[in-house]
Amino acid sequence: MSSLVGFLCLVFAVGINIFLIFSKYLLKLKIVSFNILIRLSCILTLASFLSLIYAYLVSDFSNFNVFQNSHSDKPLIYKISGTWGNHEGSMLLWVSILSIYAFFFSFTKKIDLNLKKLTLLIQSFLHISFSLFIIFTSNPFLINSVIVHEGLGLNPILQDPGLAIHPPILYAGYVGYSIVFSLAVASLMHESNDLEWLSIAKKWSLISWTFLTGGIALGSYWAYYELGWGGWWFWDPVENISLMPWITGLALVHSLLLVKGQQILKKWIIFLSILCFSLSIFGTFLVRSGILTSVHSFAADASRGLFILLIFFIITGFSLVVFLLKFPDNNKPVKFLFINKVSALIINNILMIIATLTILLGTIYPIIIEVLTNNRISVGGPYFNSTVIPIMIPGFLLMSIAPVLSWQTNKIKNSYYYIICFILISVIILIQSYLTEFNSWGVIGLILGVWIIIASISAIILSYKLKLNFKFLQNINPHLAHIGVGIAIIGITCSSVFQKEYDYNLNTGDNFIVNEINVVLDKIETKNEKNFQALRANFLIQEENSFKNVKSGKNYYPVSKMITSEAGILHQWDRDIYFILGDQKDEKWFVKVYVNPFVSLIWLGIIIMICCGFIGVIRK
Amino acid sequence: MKKSILLIPLIILLAICIFTLIYLISGKDPNKPPSALLNKDIPKFITKSLYDSNITLSSDNIKRNVILDTENVERKYTLINFFASWCTPCKIEHPLFFKLSKEYDNLFILGINHKDSYSDATKYLNEEGNPYNFVGVDSDGLIALEFGVFGLPETFLINKKGKIIFKFMGPLTKEIINNDIKPLL
Repeated sequence: MSSLVGFLCLVFAVGINIFLIFSKYLLKLKIVSFNILIRLSCILTLASFLSLIYAYLVSDFSNFNVFQNSHSDKPLIYKISGTWGNHEGSMLLWVSILSIYAFFFSFTKKIDLNLKKLTLLIQSFLHISFSLFIIFTSNPFLINSVIVHEGLGLNPILQDPGLAIHPPILYAGYVGYSIVFSLAVASLMHESNDLEWLSIAKKWSLISWTFLTGGIALGSYWAYYELGWGGWWFWDPVENISLMPWITGLALVHSLLLVKGQQILKKWIIFLSILCFSLSIFGTFLVRSGILTSVHSFAADASRGLFILLIFFIITGFSLVVFLLKFPDNNKPVKFLFINKVSALIINNILMIIATLTILLGTIYPIIIEVLTNNRISVGGPYFNSTVIPIMIPGFLLMSIAPVLSWQTNKIKNSYYYIICFILISVIILIQSYLTEFNSWGVIGLILGVWIIIASISAIILSYKLKLNFKFLQNINPHLAHIGVGIAIIGITCSSVFQKEYDYNLNTGDNFIVNEINVVLDKIETKNEKNFQALRANFLIQEENSFKNVKSGKNYYPVSKMITSEAGILHQWDRDIYFILGDQKDEKWFVKVYVNPFVSLIWLGIIIMICCGFIGVIRK
Repeated sequence: MKKSILLIPLIILLAICIFTLIYLISGKDPNKPPSALLNKDIPKFITKSLYDSNITLSSDNIKRNVILDTENVERKYTLINFFASWCTPCKIEHPLFFKLSKEYDNLFILGINHKDSYSDATKYLNEEGNPYNFVGVDSDGLIALEFGVFGLPETFLINKKGKIIFKFMGPLTKEIINNDIKPLL
């Protein structure tokens, strides 16, 4: 029953959107009725999605999708998250978020009504495309042809609280760019010269970028403690795909924040808006078509891939053609100075685009080569580390002083102070690393991170008077965001360059010393949980006079016959001690221990960036 | 700015769509080896030993061993494993090779060290142990290219006629060794 309701709601939502597109040419709908129809379509889409959630909640195995991806023994939260833990459900989530964005956008005021209509029409077109994709190739409301009383279970690796909310947040980022995209294309088609849409686009792009940051961070935090490989970023194709719209989105947000009637920037912003959303769709295509192998192994189906490829081609192709034909004329050339805000911004934008293209090339290169030569090649960490990181370094250097650059002149206030500061930091870090452990990447990363933090703090102190109110927070928000980046860079550098690994073969009761800390393998026990069996090793970690417990082990999921590893992590502010329990051999347990210094700084930096993103949205 | 510059994104879009379209239509599956390789002779390659660059091993060695040598070696199968110190999943499957080499005397395990530095590779093998009968160097990735390696780790099983009879992408597990590899040996 819920399947039928869900399916019909989705079909009606598509019907409304098709009606809206025809109404542009047949009837002259008033904006009020237009808004109401958009909101109605959103409510219907959400009803469709909620009825799928309901089917999962009550374990309605007459629905084929529920039968394949759920099990009545699953805890409540994973029954809900199972809704989007599979291909069909996650596409429905995609469309639902798309319609939620349209819903909120329909409340926008202070915008030319025709421009608003056009934007919403483009949103409607996106809604129709992806809904048809769901209806024809990935219908989550199919009825099971036989009567069953138990489901097949959710991939156990996805049974994790972090991962349960990872897809909705990530999609909120990807799909949010659709509003910016629609606005940009609509402004081209509308051919008005006013710039009011830019400030609206600023808000939406910042929201999307912030969600995308959160989604990527959740995914990589999950990889850190669930995959048990000791790291948090693996240049997996799916990670790369999310990184591309993230970087272009970053370029877009900065361009929008700094646009002040610069005509060339307006064109650039339109192009970036198209690029951001196109990369989001392209990412969806790459993941959903199963064309790349990765941890996101959804069942691949060529017809699905072809359908999304078609959508991607039509949407991106159409917007690029509109961009080509209605390209706004260049009125006044920009005054390029050696170093002012605009030129710093343009340099940074160019670097970000080069980085995106480099990642894009590395990600699709294997496909191109296989088509041309029938050979399969590998593009992994070494390629990305040796290309993307050096491209980003000048950008990071520039970013720390960019907020204090002037709009009009070459002069930087207090430039001597900054130069002396930079030299001092470099010397101190160089000496410090010669005395301890020298690593050239480590030195570069630390200098960059510390420099960004100190320069940003100095800029706050030198440029603003300290006040304890929200206005002050808004003023220093860009600097705070950059401090977040600096903190994250230090965390990334330390945890990757100075990571330490230790292996042990232990009996229970044995003690061993990691980084001058005494650890005891206390006991190993098995437990039966609701839907899995847990094997846990309990490590006692001695800290001065107290003991701390860390549990590490494996879970066995009998329904899907899969084993997942559960890393045990002792979080300290300056390092994570990361325990992985291996196999038992000759009565001894193999235990792997990683010491990851300053990992917490990565998450701290990202949280600061996300907070600054939201503060930036509130800002007028 | 000339309008012709604006054509570049369109051209890139077209190129990407054409390539992915061909890829999709040709029904390739990245989890399976290119059909061209299975049951074919192993590609030609020559590799130097990680520990002594004077010692080399080539695809011909593997084939000749198989046909010419004594009875003991005649049953020799070769397992080629591409690994690197920077490849985290490789560490997961690493201990399994010790077991395999202990259980099967007739199995020659060849480790190909892919795009790695000498110091990192030797450090890795010192720390994790060395289960390989021979460690070959593939610093520029050319051998991996010949084998169509897509991502590390990747493992190939070669029969006594020098043909690839099994290939697996990603870290091996006990189940795969028991269900897929052991029946072939």
